Amino acid sequence: MTMTSSVRPASRQAVPPAARRERRGPRTTILALPALVWYLVFMVGPMVAIFVIAALHWPGMLQPTSFAGAGNFQALFDDPVFWQAVRNTGLQMVIALPVMIVCAYMVGYYVAQKPPGHKVIRYLLFVPGLISTPAKAMVFYAALSPDGLVNGALKSVGLGSVTDAWLANPDTALYCLIALDVWAGIGFTAVLFAARLDSVPEEIGEAAQLDGAGHWRAMWRIHFPVIKEYVGVVTMLQFLWTLFGSAQQVLLLTQGGPANSSTTLSFLVYEKAFMESDLGYSQAVGVVLFLAGLAGLLAIRRVFRQSY
Amino acid sequence: MKFRKSWLPAHILVWAYAVLLAVPLYYFLASAFKSNEAIFAHPLAPPTSFGFGNFRTAFESADLGMAILNSGIVTVFSLALTLGLAIPAAFALARARGRAGAAIERIFSLGFLIPTFAALFPTFLLSAATGLFHTRLFMVLFLPATAMPLSVVILIQFMRTIPPEMEEAARIDGASTFGVLRHIYTPMCMPGIATVLLLNFLTFWNEYLYSLIIIGPDPDLRTIQVALPTLKSQIGTDYGILTAGTILTLVPVWIMYTLLQKRMQQALVSGAVKM
Repeated sequence: MTMTSSVRPASRQAVPPAARRERRGPRTTILALPALVWYLVFMVGPMVAIFVIAALHWPGMLQPTSFAGAGNFQALFDDPVFWQAVRNTGLQMVIALPVMIVCAYMVGYYVAQKPPGHKVIRYLLFVPGLISTPAKAMVFYAALSPDGLVNGALKSVGLGSVTDAWLANPDTALYCLIALDVWAGIGFTAVLFAARLDSVPEEIGEAAQLDGAGHWRAMWRIHFPVIKEYVGVVTMLQFLWTLFGSAQQVLLLTQGGPANSSTTLSFLVYEKAFMESDLGYSQAVGVVLFLAGLAGLLAIRRVFRQSY
Repeated sequence: MKFRKSWLPAHILVWAYAVLLAVPLYYFLASAFKSNEAIFAHPLAPPTSFGFGNFRTAFESADLGMAILNSGIVTVFSLALTLGLAIPAAFALARARGRAGAAIERIFSLGFLIPTFAALFPTFLLSAATGLFHTRLFMVLFLPATAMPLSVVILIQFMRTIPPEMEEAARIDGASTFGVLRHIYTPMCMPGIATVLLLNFLTFWNEYLYSLIIIGPDPDLRTIQVALPTLKSQIGTDYGILTAGTILTLVPVWIMYTLLQKRMQQALVSGAVKM
């Protein structure tokens, strides 16, 4: 971005020194250095360190380290737990992302049409964005435990036979985590889409109505292409949050169990580093996570490329 | 827009989701005032009495008072440091015309894509190397770095709207660079600063994983988000106490949200996607 100075003095002598300095551009870029240094030291440095540690054999904090080359990756690819985590993370992405984005877009479109009661809905949609991960996890813990809200509701409508220890069952633990992602993700994403749809010119919707387009067509054929790129960016962010952030939900709700049935890649990084002290292995998973993140971003970008 | 009959399924589905958001919250509020027996027998019945016994037990058994104080300390100091770093940086980058300025701005706008919780273990090593492991100080230093890309990018956008003539006029009156920043840019960017404060208040107050690893579980130091899950194991499954504790952690956020609803919503929306 360049700013053109509006000072256009008639003659050289009449220029006050301040204005002359202004025309060369202010020399204050140095003021941006503290923020930059801070960012490099605390964020970029540790990020680079992941790749270094991934190449080390480091069997515990106080143990001597040695160069392992690709040894950690070898150990990783021979480890069934790693492949289980890849499968779980894959499932999580394939289910949570499409459901979240499609539902959020429809809810966002609905709210943007300002139907009766939309203010109440908007207020509620913000709720998951305000609550911390531990609090959300406690909500799900209380809802899904054997004598919690879900089972209580099932019993009261006579479906007592369906009740289960949802978080302790290897068949359902991962799906509980995915449900948490979706439950919290739809609300906040819908708010973003509604805000973006609010700024789409009204004529577009009106023209569609005159043409006799139903709401379903107006939503997907007319409004969606207009904000497609924005939907892509939001999808990228949700993808990254889910991919890297799932360690927290797993740690709080299932600890990867039972029998690794809910271990995600992001939790595996945490587990290997802080529970099993296999530091090289842990950061090798971190590298895999990074590459997965990069591949996912590029894929999402392709899907949402603006088509007009 | 008319809402004809064909909208009925949409109304039902959206309200169903709204109920899914509201019910757990209601369940938490109601359960916080009930005993375990009452919770299991009638999970959705309103409480019969409003005693604060559960809140008191949660407060004492998990030492939540200290935890709230710690969260407050970390949040407030981190916010101050975030502004102290981001305002001068945004001021410099918004006015810079050189290549260096553009490059630094690019770094920040890309950094916005890097998830903050990617490098937990190396960050833990950094805290150990600087001798700040198990201190709140490291979190106060670290959190602003995670918030830097977003804060700088938002503030730059606000500062770009300030006409350069304002600065020229002040310069002619003999104002220094610092004077220009203090008397022109900062007051005129108040909405941007408010946005940055609100967004980061939420992020810092709600931060969990780094606080857990770096500050650790010591009751004198730990934050409220770290203390909350311990209620689960400490008390077994006394849901009244667990829900009361959870509600306590939400109080500051909920007060903020109710007071500044419009502004908070704008902040969250504008802060989510900046590219």
